[in-house]
Amino acid sequence: MKTQRWFTPWLLLGPAVVWLLVFNLWPAINTVVLAFTNAKPLGGGSFTGLANFERMLNDDQLVYALVNSIVYMLVCLPLLLFLPLLLAVLLEKKLPGITFFRTAFYTPVIASAVVVALIWTWLLEDRGLVNGLAQQLGFLTEPLPFLSGRWLLLFSAISLTVWKGLGYYMIIYLSALGNVSRQLHEAAAVDGAGPIRRFWSVTVPGVRTTMLLVSVLVTVSALRVFTELFVLTNGTGGPGGRTMSLVMLIQMYSRGFTGHLGYASALSLLLFVITVGPMLLLLRLNRKAA
Amino acid sequence: MRTRLVGLALSSAVLTAVAGCGLSGADTSDDQVDITGEVKGTVTLQTWALKPKFTDYMQGVIDSFEAEYPGTTVKWLDQPGDGYSEKVLSQAASNELPDVTNLPPDFALPLAKQGLLLDIDQADDKLREEYVEGAVASYEFAGQTGVFGYPWYLNTDVNFWNTELLAKYGLDETKLPTTMEEMVDQARILKEKSDGAVHLLSRKPGIEDLNQAGVELVSADGTEFIFNTPEAVAVLDLYREAFAEGLLPRNVLTDAYLGNMDLFKKEQVAWTTGGGNSITDIAVDNPSLAEKVIASPSIGTPSLYTQGLSVAKNSDNLPAAVALARWVTNTENQAAFAEVVPGIFPSTVASAEDPQFSQSDGTNVGDAKKIAFTSLAEAELLKPVIVDQAMDDFLKQQFSLAISGEITSQQALDKAVEKCNELLNN
Repeated sequence: MKTQRWFTPWLLLGPAVVWLLVFNLWPAINTVVLAFTNAKPLGGGSFTGLANFERMLNDDQLVYALVNSIVYMLVCLPLLLFLPLLLAVLLEKKLPGITFFRTAFYTPVIASAVVVALIWTWLLEDRGLVNGLAQQLGFLTEPLPFLSGRWLLLFSAISLTVWKGLGYYMIIYLSALGNVSRQLHEAAAVDGAGPIRRFWSVTVPGVRTTMLLVSVLVTVSALRVFTELFVLTNGTGGPGGRTMSLVMLIQMYSRGFTGHLGYASALSLLLFVITVGPMLLLLRLNRKAA
Repeated sequence: MRTRLVGLALSSAVLTAVAGCGLSGADTSDDQVDITGEVKGTVTLQTWALKPKFTDYMQGVIDSFEAEYPGTTVKWLDQPGDGYSEKVLSQAASNELPDVTNLPPDFALPLAKQGLLLDIDQADDKLREEYVEGAVASYEFAGQTGVFGYPWYLNTDVNFWNTELLAKYGLDETKLPTTMEEMVDQARILKEKSDGAVHLLSRKPGIEDLNQAGVELVSADGTEFIFNTPEAVAVLDLYREAFAEGLLPRNVLTDAYLGNMDLFKKEQVAWTTGGGNSITDIAVDNPSLAEKVIASPSIGTPSLYTQGLSVAKNSDNLPAAVALARWVTNTENQAAFAEVVPGIFPSTVASAEDPQFSQSDGTNVGDAKKIAFTSLAEAELLKPVIVDQAMDDFLKQQFSLAISGEITSQQALDKAVEKCNELLNN
C-alpha cells in the first residue's frame, strides 16, 4: 500500500521551512531592501539608491568601529585558538580533583555576559579592585584608565571575552582530544619526542578540524562583539565613541522611535560581508592544508 | 513540475515579503476629526509602570470617571517600565494605539508626525487656559500644527549639596555657586583641600547644558541645528579646563561610572542634581547623608520633564477618549497623584497656589520640593525633542572628545552640528 504523496516531505519540512522563511530569510531580505532606503521605524521610507553606502565613506565612527572589530578579531583569534587547547590538554589528564578545575574553567561560560561585564567594570574602574590593589602594592601611583582610555578599554574587553570564552572552547577541544590516538603519542614518545614536540606534531594535527571550527566561531563572534564593549563603556562606545564595535554602531543608529534603519541596515550588510570574508578564507586554508 | 510549483510558491512569498517589508506609508493628513458625541462606551487607557505601586490611585481615578460618565468602561493597560518605547512603537506601527496613551513629548513627536495623534488644541478649547504654558508647549512641535497631548505630571532638577563635605573642605553652604564659573572655582578648592579624594563636579555637559547657558540650539523653524556658537564653545571650554585640572573624575568621559547621584550617595562627590524628592531617595540608600543635604535652585534655566496623555486620532471612541484624558489630568486628580508620588508636580494652572507644593514644611525635603515647584515656572524642555538617540550618542561622544582635549570645543560642536543635521534630514 502506497500512502506517500509527493508533498509528504514538504509537509514534514513545512514548519521548519516556514520558521526559516519568517525569522531568517525574510529579515535578511528586509535588511538588504532597507539598506537602500532612508527607512524609519514609523512611516517607512523611500528608496535612496546607494546614498547609505556613500555616507559610510565619510563616517569617521565607522572607521574606528571597523578598526576595533578587526583588532578584536585579530587578538581574540590566536588567544582563543591556542589557550583553550592548552587548557584542554592539561585538564584531559585523569588526576584527582580534575573535575573541579574543568567545572571552574567552564563557570564563566554559563554566567550572564552582562553580569560578568558589570563585575569587570567594578574591578577595573579607577577606584576598583585592580587599580586599588596595584596602588596598595606600589605598582601604580595613579590608577590606569582601563575604562576611559581607548586602547586599554578595548584590551580590557578583549581580556573579558578571552576569559569568558576559554571554558567554552576548552570543552570543544576536550571532546576532540578524545579522538586523538593515544598510540600516536606513545609512538612519538618512544621516538624521543618531548611534550612540546608531541603537542605540535601529534595533538595539533589531530585536532586540526576542530581548530578550524573554533577559528570560524571565534572570528564570527569577535567581529560581532557587542555586550563586553557595551557594558564596559556604559553604552557610550568609550571616549568619543572610539571604542565602538561595528555592532554597537549599528545599534546606535537603529535605536528608538526615530531609528535610522536604512543606514543601520547598510552597516549590517557591511558586517555580513566582512564576517563572511574571513570564514571563506579559513575554509580555503583548511582545504589547502587537507 | 512539482519542483517548479514549490519554487514558484517560494518566490511569490519572498517577493510579497520584499514588496511589503518596512516601507509602509504614513497617514499625515490633516483631516478634521469629529470628537462630538456622547461620552459612553469602552475606552482604553495605557499607562507606563504604574502597577502595582499606584494601582489604587489609578483605579480610583478610573472608577470616578466611570461614575461621572455612566455607560463608560475604561480598559486600563499598564505596561512595564522596560521596553515601553518598543511597545508603543509596535502599537503605532500596527495602527493599534490605545485610545489614551501616556507619552512623554519625545515619544509623541514621531507619532504626531505620522498623523497618529489627536490635536488636543482643536479638541479642547480650555486646554491653554487650564494647563501651564510650558507644559502645553512641550507637546507642540516645530513643523506640526497642534498640541499632541494633555500635560500630566511635571518634574524638574534642583541642585543638592553635601553640607558636611562642603564644610570639611573649606566651602560655605551659604555661598553656594550660582554660575558654572563659580562652580569650577569651588570645585578647585574642594579638590585641593581633599587632596583629590572628593569632587564637586562629576558629570560632563550635554546639549541640555548648552540650552541652560542660553545657547540657541535649533533654528526657529526647527529644521536645522545651530548650536556651534562661541557661547557653546565657552561652555565646553569651561569643562575642558576643569577636566585638565583634575576637577572631574576621569570616567565622566565615558559615563562608565556610577553616575553623579550614586557618587553623591557614596559621599565621593559633594554636588549632584535631581528631582524635588531626591532627598527621600537618598535616605533609602544612605540615611545618615540625607539629613546633611541641602537643595538650591538649578544654575541657569531649570529643566522641565513632562509626562502627558495623548489621544489616538483613529480612536473608535474619541469623545470618551478626550474626556478620559482630560479627567485623569484635571487639577484634582493631578493634585491627588502628586500626593501619592512625592516629587512630581501637577501641570494645571489651578495648582500653582496649592500650598501642598508652594510651601515648605521646614525640612530639607520640604525645601527641595518648594524650590523644585517654584522653578517650574521658568523650566523648559532643555533637550529638543528632535534630538534622537543617534544624535544624542554622537553629541555625547563629541563633547567627551572636547573635554578630554583630543579635539577643540569648536571642532566638536561643528562635527556635532553637521552630524545632527545629516541625521535630521535623512
